[in-house]
Amino acid sequence: MAVVATVALAAAIAGACSYFEDPDPYRPPASYTGRPTAEALALGQQLYQRDCSFCHGDDGRGTSQGPDLATGENGPALTDFMLRTGRMPIDAPVEQAQAGTSPYDSDEIDALVAYLDDAFDQPGPDIPEIDTAAGDLVEGRAAYQENCAACHATTGIGGAMIAGRDGETTGIFIPGFARTSPTEVGEAARTGPGAMPAFSPEIIDHDELDGLARYIEYLKDPDDRGGWSLGRFGPVAEGAAGLVLGVGILVLFVRWVGTTRGQRPKEEP
Amino acid sequence: MNRGRGLILAAFGASMAASIGVTVVYALGGQPQIEGVLLGVALGGIAVGLVLFGHRVLPGGHFVQARDVVPPTTQRPEVAASFEEGAEPIERRRLIATAFAGSVALLGAAAVFPIRSLGTRPGRQLDHTSWRRGLRAVTNAGRPLRVDGLDPDSVVTVFPEGHEGSADSQTLLIRLPGGITPPGPRDWTVNGVVAFSKICTHAGCPVGLYQTDTQELFCPCHQSTFSVPEGARPTFGPATRPLPQLPIGLDDDGFIIALSDYTEPVGPGFWNRP
Amino acid sequence: MISRLARWIDDRIGGSAFAESALSKVFPDHWSFMLGEIALYSFVVLVVTGVFLTFFFDPSVAETTYQGGYDPLRGETMSEAYRSVVELSFDVRAGLVMRQAHHWAAFTMIGSLVLHLLRVFFTGAFRRPREINWLVGVTLLILALANGFTGYSLPDDLLSGMGLRIMYSLVLSVPVIGTWVAFLLFGGEFPDQEIIPRLFVIHIMIVPAAIAVLIAVHLALIWHQKHTDYAGRDRRESNVVGPKLWPTYASFSLALFFAVFAVVVTMGGLVQVNPVWLYGPFRPSEVGPPSQPDWFVGWLEGALRIFPPWEIRAFGYEIPNPFYPGVLVPTVIFGGLYLWPFLEARFTGDRGPHHLLDRARDHPVRTAFGVTALSFVVLLQVAASNDLLAHGFDASVATITWIFRIVVPVVPPLLGWFTYRLMTALRASGAERFAEMPLRAVMRPAGDAEALASVGAEPAAVAGPTTDGAELTVYAAADGRWRWRYRDPADDIELDSNTSYVTEQLAAADARKAYPETPLVRNR
Repeated sequence: MAVVATVALAAAIAGACSYFEDPDPYRPPASYTGRPTAEALALGQQLYQRDCSFCHGDDGRGTSQGPDLATGENGPALTDFMLRTGRMPIDAPVEQAQAGTSPYDSDEIDALVAYLDDAFDQPGPDIPEIDTAAGDLVEGRAAYQENCAACHATTGIGGAMIAGRDGETTGIFIPGFARTSPTEVGEAARTGPGAMPAFSPEIIDHDELDGLARYIEYLKDPDDRGGWSLGRFGPVAEGAAGLVLGVGILVLFVRWVGTTRGQRPKEEP
Repeated sequence: MNRGRGLILAAFGASMAASIGVTVVYALGGQPQIEGVLLGVALGGIAVGLVLFGHRVLPGGHFVQARDVVPPTTQRPEVAASFEEGAEPIERRRLIATAFAGSVALLGAAAVFPIRSLGTRPGRQLDHTSWRRGLRAVTNAGRPLRVDGLDPDSVVTVFPEGHEGSADSQTLLIRLPGGITPPGPRDWTVNGVVAFSKICTHAGCPVGLYQTDTQELFCPCHQSTFSVPEGARPTFGPATRPLPQLPIGLDDDGFIIALSDYTEPVGPGFWNRP
Repeated sequence: MISRLARWIDDRIGGSAFAESALSKVFPDHWSFMLGEIALYSFVVLVVTGVFLTFFFDPSVAETTYQGGYDPLRGETMSEAYRSVVELSFDVRAGLVMRQAHHWAAFTMIGSLVLHLLRVFFTGAFRRPREINWLVGVTLLILALANGFTGYSLPDDLLSGMGLRIMYSLVLSVPVIGTWVAFLLFGGEFPDQEIIPRLFVIHIMIVPAAIAVLIAVHLALIWHQKHTDYAGRDRRESNVVGPKLWPTYASFSLALFFAVFAVVVTMGGLVQVNPVWLYGPFRPSEVGPPSQPDWFVGWLEGALRIFPPWEIRAFGYEIPNPFYPGVLVPTVIFGGLYLWPFLEARFTGDRGPHHLLDRARDHPVRTAFGVTALSFVVLLQVAASNDLLAHGFDASVATITWIFRIVVPVVPPLLGWFTYRLMTALRASGAERFAEMPLRAVMRPAGDAEALASVGAEPAAVAGPTTDGAELTVYAAADGRWRWRYRDPADDIELDSNTSYVTEQLAAADARKAYPETPLVRNR
């Protein structure tokens, strides 16, 4: 009975860990090159009018439902990030747009990026060109620890924090990187989508950004030389494993070795 | 009994095989998972074999031993007599006994003092950091920063130039977006850039998380939240005091500098914090 | 060969009488009495693996550049301490297995210590004459916690460095002497260079020596006082029943040592713990989740997280917020643990010796207190993962924290009260097993007034079962020495004396001591 319970609990823990891991491969990287064709602009306009203008306005200046797309960090990088990660479009305004599956294919995304940049003269940065092969892994790790680890966790699993909004507090979900492409890393770092801060080239220069993307790529499957990583949740998961597996197995062992109450003392064999 | 013996021998046999196996794996270069499993079998086989042996072969728990419910105290009068007899000469010489006690006590007190050598005097060390007027704010790599090098809604950790990595001087530079009035005295900020101590006033962890849509800083250790537009006032969590603000300005080359040290101690509280 | 050696030693030291009593000593072998042994053998494994680690660990904070086998750190500057741990993990054969086994063994030691403490508490084994052993045991728990904390702080990685910063702040928060103690302990302002070498000395020398001495005292007391046992038809306050040390109990105990070693070393190879290379070297301005300490300090962390932002500041002095959850709460918990045997003796008026154990239902007040304290600590433990819970359930950290702020003070007393009702109902119902108790007895225990009246007093059903038909016999064995036997046909029990005697009178005297109320029938 106890054996069954322990095995069931271990299986439940393993299942819980896998629930938090994202099994999908990451999205295809951006292909927008900054030189849009007329067809792309036309397609982009058509998609924008159909899917986006209700919240972001015909002129892109925003409505009560959605923000202005023509100011701040808005540019090809931010648009591409929002669309490719599936954060946009959404049916109704939410506290925090979360990643999902994009309804668009890569060409449609490129078209929308081109149209927004062209039609609204967006000031934000272009899609950065990230070359992970050229990035220095060590430099990237240092940049990650200094700028990213506090929110996204040293192990890259993401986290949570609190938002105070109009006197209420809500939860902010900080994602991990299971489905993040290197280009998305660059886009997010430069534009700071949603609650995330922006990191200009003075804070993380281009070489460091390459390294950062390379390190984040590494974090998707880091060196778990010690064995089962327990979801990389850290001491909480390790403590659970130590108690359930370590102490649990040993308690079962002593139950096997020792007697139980009411068990009669064994006769001389 | 034969079946019992077979199992016991199998357990010891598995252990022996695993021990040989782990030496082979080790010689070939080692691999943590395989080493762990083989060592586990090597040790566990002995454990299982011994238990099986104990259960099936050795005599069981059918023995009884008497115990004293209360420990015997028959010798107490003799002990008391011996002690008093021996203490008698000591008790007669009060002055000597007192002097002995005094010398041991004072020696003990003197022996405690080397503990003082373990560290420096706190003094007012906790009240100051390494920031001074005119020192540039630099990143950990030593890079100074200009205001327009920081986008709105960006955050960066800085140190006084020459003290990169200094634990008590770690400071956050935050550029607030246009619509937000920077907190604190007007001449402590530059173009929407404010500077706050990164050390949480609760238990000292770096307040590393920043949320741009509400301009709140968040400490990952115990979840204290600080609202930057309100002068980094704590809005949730166990922290009770705002993060101290560093007065900043610009030098002649346009780099961000400190105008003075923090005007209050940074970090967690202590008994005589001013 | 061995007998020749034994004779040689005996000729010089004597002690064959001790050896005889040792070999034939009876140990009750209920499985719950082996929990402490798990801790004991975990300590042995810790020392064995620890010695291995000390040959590779460099307790120095001098800066160095890493040139080992882990790519993301190559060329990075770090302390010698951190470098030595990463090198041990990647470039030393069997190094990582040893390091992880060491860490897992710390978990099994503290985990089994807690279970052992719970067993001793709920069975009342701490009562006279075992109060001294209880004090020794609680001290062992505190020392084990201290060594666990210093141990995982040694690698000077980012996660444990955050923990040290918090510990520094806790020490700072102590009124009057806090700043002085912090500066003397750490050598100055945080993070002074002195702390890692000092933690090393504490971790490998001072605390293990203290633990070893106290374990010796603990075992010596158990040896001398003999172990307690649960009540049964053949058990009395005046005897102890079970296998003999040689060969049976020694065999089981040795097996347990190998089992503990096997479990922690298998986990050391298969399950990763404390991957310090991922956390990175400690830098005072860096931080990041995971932001929890090891589980055995989790209750302290949870208290720090959920405690509201209250602090006292008056007349220019302050007692800052971390003091209350971080120093006061542990003081109350451990103070309560230390004082419990004396408080219980005082409030129940029961100051007599006890060698037979209570069942949980026999002492409902104690059980209820225990459940309250245990659930309090467990809930604090869970509260330490409030950010992980928020992340996993996509909820607000604030909501989760508020839930714990309410649950932690409210639920444990409720559980305690409910436990009290359950235990009195169980006792009053007379059901032997939990499952046999009728459910309505919980709501309205039969004979409630009687059960309440007898709370705290000597439980009725523990000692002195009826001995109808039981008898003692004394007989001479084939080797001419005398032995005695206890027989209870009603329960089909037959127990032999663990040792043999020179005269019939000695055997009879011991038999009467073990079973004062059973008739002695001279046989053969």
